[in-house]
Amino acid sequence: MKVSSKLAALGLVLAVAACTNNSPFAAGGGAGGAGANGSVVPGSPSDPRSPAYFQQAVGDRVLFPVNESTLTDAAKTTLQAQADWLLQNTDYAARIEGHADEQGTREYNLALGARRANAAREFLISRGVAGNRITTVSYGKERPIEICSQEACYAKNRRAVTVLVANVTG
Amino acid sequence: MDTGTKISAVAHVALIGVALFGGAFRSEPLPFEVQEVSIISGEQFAAMTAPNEAPEITTQTEVPQTPEAEEELATLPEPETPEPEQTPPEVVPEPEPEPTPEAVIETPEPEVIEETPTLETPEPEVAVLPAPPGEAAPSRQADRVAPQPVAPPPPDATPDELDTPPVVAEEGADEPREEQEATAQEEATDRIVTEAEESAEIAPQRSPRPRARPQNLRQPVKVAEPAEPEPQEDPSREAAVNDALAEALSEGEETTPEPAAPAPTGPPLTSGEKESLRVAVSNCWNVGSLSTDALGTTVTVAVTMNQDGTPNNGSIRMLDSSGGSQAAARQAFEAARRAIIRCGARGFNLPAEKFSHWRDIEMTFNPERMRIK
Amino acid sequence: MMRFLTSIFLGAALMAAPAAAQNTPLRIEITEGVIEPLPFAAPDFVPDTPAAAQYATQIARVVAADLTGTGLFREIPANAYISQVSSFDAPVQFADWKAINAQALVTGGVSVSGNTLTVRFRIWDVFSDTELGNGLQFTGTTDGWRRMAHKVADQVYSRITGEGGYFDSRVVFVSESGPKNERRKRLAIMDYDGANVQYLTDSSSIVLAPRFSPAGDRVLYTSYESGTPRIYVLDVGAVQRNVLPTQEGTMSFAPRFSPDGRNVLYSLARGGNTDLYLMDINSGQSRQLTNAPSIETAPSYSPNGSQIVFESDRSGTPQLYIMPANGGEPRKISSGKGRYGTPVWSPRGDLIAFTKQSQGRFHIGVMRTDGSEERLLTASFLDEGPTWAPNGRVIMFTRESPGAEGRATLYSVDITGRNLRPVRTPDGASDPAWSPLQK
Repeated sequence: MKVSSKLAALGLVLAVAACTNNSPFAAGGGAGGAGANGSVVPGSPSDPRSPAYFQQAVGDRVLFPVNESTLTDAAKTTLQAQADWLLQNTDYAARIEGHADEQGTREYNLALGARRANAAREFLISRGVAGNRITTVSYGKERPIEICSQEACYAKNRRAVTVLVANVTG
Repeated sequence: MDTGTKISAVAHVALIGVALFGGAFRSEPLPFEVQEVSIISGEQFAAMTAPNEAPEITTQTEVPQTPEAEEELATLPEPETPEPEQTPPEVVPEPEPEPTPEAVIETPEPEVIEETPTLETPEPEVAVLPAPPGEAAPSRQADRVAPQPVAPPPPDATPDELDTPPVVAEEGADEPREEQEATAQEEATDRIVTEAEESAEIAPQRSPRPRARPQNLRQPVKVAEPAEPEPQEDPSREAAVNDALAEALSEGEETTPEPAAPAPTGPPLTSGEKESLRVAVSNCWNVGSLSTDALGTTVTVAVTMNQDGTPNNGSIRMLDSSGGSQAAARQAFEAARRAIIRCGARGFNLPAEKFSHWRDIEMTFNPERMRIK
Repeated sequence: MMRFLTSIFLGAALMAAPAAAQNTPLRIEITEGVIEPLPFAAPDFVPDTPAAAQYATQIARVVAADLTGTGLFREIPANAYISQVSSFDAPVQFADWKAINAQALVTGGVSVSGNTLTVRFRIWDVFSDTELGNGLQFTGTTDGWRRMAHKVADQVYSRITGEGGYFDSRVVFVSESGPKNERRKRLAIMDYDGANVQYLTDSSSIVLAPRFSPAGDRVLYTSYESGTPRIYVLDVGAVQRNVLPTQEGTMSFAPRFSPDGRNVLYSLARGGNTDLYLMDINSGQSRQLTNAPSIETAPSYSPNGSQIVFESDRSGTPQLYIMPANGGEPRKISSGKGRYGTPVWSPRGDLIAFTKQSQGRFHIGVMRTDGSEERLLTASFLDEGPTWAPNGRVIMFTRESPGAEGRATLYSVDITGRNLRPVRTPDGASDPAWSPLQK
């Protein structure tokens, strides 16, 4: 299973890489296309090759139900877009940070965050992103973005965030 | 007469002997241990724990040894004259007036008066907790866990083992009478309530209503009219007996608290009387400071009683123990001994006419039920 | 005539009494008692010289605070004293102490010579007119007066309760500052009572869950210093740290020393799966102890090192399991409803403390090692991470308050559930780990 998916991913990466050279912006699936008219400011959210674009237009995070690490349909859509972007922007690698809400022990939440990060990573790999471009880390409940103690905040804290890292050697 | 005196004399000689022997024994040098503590200085500690990269382990300066470290401490002299408490009261000659029913009046002890109320400040905890839905919390976190729950005492009452209504000097009383502060049992729950249980959603309703005290304790303060003649059918005979008793026990044996006891023998104790003794001791048996090991240890303790209902403190000894280590048995025994001495200090409420039945008591202290409180 | 009759009557009565008594002592069984703090008095120790005066007072105060802090003792204030202790060697006036219901009495003397401090003390069972154990003398430096006081208090505590002491111990913990979403954490160490806080790391990276070595000289902890959680071992005396070896692409956390101090038991997350591993701390070689697709974490050794209790969600929710120390089939011990975590074996071996999450609240609880007699000691929005006092009688843990202003505080509680109280720290504090009793 793992080996086959890696092989598949490798094939996809090569195919897409070849494709990318020819038409840098055309193949952007899903959320792409917005700034394709040549008047983009490089690095701004309107620049489809920028991390800011990835963060805002593609969506850098997916959310999880309580105590779960399985991907929701919404999460899969976002991750698909991430995969597409990563396949086109090979200068970047990704670090996926898994998080948990505060309802759980520190240790378990670390492990749960690792599960979530890994679920996202596996999905990206299954969509063709090279495994060696994606690392994971878990912050457990150490780095909430919302600090209220209600479900509204918890829902946003149960997340896996894909952080772009420039200049990869792999 | 002769026989009585002889027995009395023999008993007292024995008691004095014990007291003297004990005293002599104790006056030997008390053993003392000297122990070196290697304690690093605060500076060293700070230096070592300062968060810098350089390991910078300062060489640990030797803790200066006191030259006389090996020397045993000077012996601790024992009190030459035994404290009244240390010897049985029999030894102290005490002109004994007519027995009066005023047992209660002599009750107030400095502890009751002196001790500042110790209504502990409530746990800061409580504030953090959201109010549980059922507001009438069944049992609260009190510092004290007693066989029966006790409602919080009136704020001006001093904690005590028994409830005593306040005595105020009455107008027109024949004799000036000491005022006695109201005492009340300290607030207690009937079991330990953890925070988890306290905040449980649904808790069984439990009434904190203090039950009627068993009539173990001295009848609290009927503001007795002093010098009221006892309602005895035969006062002259009674007086004579008392006279004779006082004379026979001329060394100041405390007067029998119940003047109605013509003879220290009688029918066996009723279950109610036993129960009242049991409850009285229970009220002073504090297992709160026992190790968990000692809480698993049952000890049987023997005590010889004085005729006035007080225990002969020197007679308290451990007969048997089971369930724990020797050390645990010792802690358990010490707690039992404290219970007997403390609650017996004013005399247990035992029928004087049945003295022979309670002269020797064996109490088994079984903490099993206290462990799961 | 009257006298004659009376004397016969008396004689008969007195003769009858012993005869009857010898044969049949009254037997009663007492099964109900009270649980309340034992009143004690700890008058200021007596200084031998004026230079010793301040120590004499301070030491007695710390001794009293230690004892009172257990919840098992209650100090009788000095203004209630009838007699004063003016000389360490003077006879104790038991009657005066009985009168104020002091059931235990601690007397002491202090002398200072240069920077050498000598403390002598005796413990008295007031109502029995006896000394508990022998007098004892400690010698150290004046700077260490607090430790000397803790040592005195440990003696008092253990002689009266029969339990080992725990006052002369330290706690390593995570000091926290800043808001929840930008919390800065650094490792700190302090006396068990919150005094003498010292910082062991800076707050440049997240640090988690320090654990003492059995000898109390080293601390394991998890740090994000390298970007991912890795385990570090810190020499407390030298404040020198080393990272333990790990494998690329993994996270390691939740470390704990084996009772012999030679191995480190920890969690390793690889590819989203967390299992338990054991590392020889000298060779750096690791061995996998569990191999399951579920999360296995928060391991803790039994005191004899033969078993490991840990947390696993192999049944669907986090529960507690015990397995042999070299791996093997785990046995589930938690049975109640709710989610269980962070089990810690008591130093006495008889109980396991844990965190339980149930119906939206967190509890610290204890259960027997077979999972029976579960008892929840606390309840709050968030309690977690219990650690045992060296004597196995008290548990310290983290309590976090809810909301944006939420803050972590250390609390301690007796294993009976009594005496729940905060431990004062300069900042927020979490993840306490209690040291063994200091030598």
